[in-house]
Amino acid sequence: MAPGRRTAAFERKAPLLEAKEVQVTIGGEEILESASLDLRRGELLAIVGPNGAGKSTFARAFCGLRRPQGGEVRWMGVPLTELRGRKLAGVRAYVPQRAQVPTGVTVQAAVNIGRSTHLKPLQGLSGEDREAVRESIARARLEGFEDRDLSTLSGGEMQRVQIAVALAQGAPVLVADEPTAQLDLGATAAISKMLRELVSGGMGVVLIVHDLALAAAIADRVVVMSHGRTIATGTPEAVLTGQLISEVWGVQAELVHREGRSALHVEWLDQHQT
Amino acid sequence: MLLALVAAACASLAYGAVHIPLGEVIDTLLGQKVPEASRQIIEVLRLPRTVEAIVVGAALGVAGACLQGALNNPLASPDVIGVTAGAGFGAMLVLLFSPASVALLPISALAFGLIAAAMVFLIGFTGRGGGNITRIILAGIAIAALFSAATAGLLSAYPDRVPNAVFFLVGGLTSSDGWDTLETIWPYLAVGFVIAAFMIRPLDRLMLGDDVAASLGSRPRLIRLTAAFAAALLASAAAAIAGLLAFLGLVIPHLVRLLGGTRNHTFVIPVSALAGAALLTAADTVARTIAAPIEMPVGPFLVVLGVPLFLWLLRKAV
Repeated sequence: MAPGRRTAAFERKAPLLEAKEVQVTIGGEEILESASLDLRRGELLAIVGPNGAGKSTFARAFCGLRRPQGGEVRWMGVPLTELRGRKLAGVRAYVPQRAQVPTGVTVQAAVNIGRSTHLKPLQGLSGEDREAVRESIARARLEGFEDRDLSTLSGGEMQRVQIAVALAQGAPVLVADEPTAQLDLGATAAISKMLRELVSGGMGVVLIVHDLALAAAIADRVVVMSHGRTIATGTPEAVLTGQLISEVWGVQAELVHREGRSALHVEWLDQHQT
Repeated sequence: MLLALVAAACASLAYGAVHIPLGEVIDTLLGQKVPEASRQIIEVLRLPRTVEAIVVGAALGVAGACLQGALNNPLASPDVIGVTAGAGFGAMLVLLFSPASVALLPISALAFGLIAAAMVFLIGFTGRGGGNITRIILAGIAIAALFSAATAGLLSAYPDRVPNAVFFLVGGLTSSDGWDTLETIWPYLAVGFVIAAFMIRPLDRLMLGDDVAASLGSRPRLIRLTAAFAAALLASAAAAIAGLLAFLGLVIPHLVRLLGGTRNHTFVIPVSALAGAALLTAADTVARTIAAPIEMPVGPFLVVLGVPLFLWLLRKAV
């Protein structure tokens, strides 16, 4: 996944992404007070936190989908404010939480649209672009689905199409907002494996995720958010302690994680109430 | 679709109050020697009208396709951004208020069509939450209501001049204006078509959702505004030439999507241009031959031809 010719100004040694004290105000209300993270090459970073903690807002802000009111974001050393259009599309791909599923669009056509960032206006796909599209479809395990209409796909298949569209962009970083939120166990595992493969291939992945057990199993590091702030960053074992879970989610729980298997042992009902 | 357009164009040139053999039509176009009367009829009367039908049909087809893509709403047509009502008012202002300056009609229709669209964009796109689709559509409906009311006011103030206005309001092409109208209006059409061509890819991105478009480095709000602006230019220019034929803008993109089985704008926008041109040219040929020598306005014929085709496809699709 070479960054390509348009990334000359980027620093090779800088972290893929650095966000410092990012602040977002929506309609006079401070949704994001101060959020920071950094992403290295070949790393899967999970952002976890309760509903309304500001995870999606943070991701949208550092991806350039929403203008932050304060703080600093750099992609490979270049300030986000200097990145626009094709250049921005060349550093990160963003996979939204809910896909818009138009009828009358095939998987192939959708992934072709993802590749369009490499084209000049009115220019068609080159042989190289077609190859990149084919590879994106293969990496998202969508071979054989090329001619299917998007409206006929299952939730898991549609999520893989979203990822294929993002991969076709050819950016070194993939940011995905809850890609497994509405998926069953098998589809969740399939997406998780796919994301790990991308990381093994050298990409950086930022994953917003609710499921702490899943985050612990697949992430290299986790960032915990609460009330519009990032409050802890580190390996899942170091950060997702019973005490932190109790403080942030208000639930007594213990994370069990060994040999690639993980589970969250939760005290669902307070003992004295039952 | 291209074949249908060529056939419709040939028929449009050959048929009319005087029937001219197809061979003579082709010879005239190629500059060969033909009887002087036929040449006169084709060059002075029919060719401008056929060309008008083609560009107006293409403009409305593209305008509808752009708007439906930009607003992600299958009900969008030049009506919803106020263009039709604005152009109608502009035309009535000239026809009813100062019928002597009828030459100004196309310019007035164009200007008021664009003014109405500008008002809709101003309300719909600016301020906090600007660019919200529901807001654009509601602003469009309100502005359209405003201009329709003004038009109704003019119509009731000058009841004796209303018959002149009917032709414009139902939409129709005429042979009497020769190339004049086209000569004034073509730059607006050209700009509209060029912008629309550049919006094909952005609209494709928007089809996958605002967030995907943003991930691909586009700005959804800017895409909406630019595509809607192209549609406003095309629809206003079309109204300036042929009156109010908004039905074409609504139906053509649907016809094209149903026939092609795809929503990709790479297909929908160019084919909408061809289909709009073909349908309007065919309908206009029917309109001026069916009760010859009386020429009927094309608007109702368009609906008569278009609705059954549309309904048939609609049933077949589901």
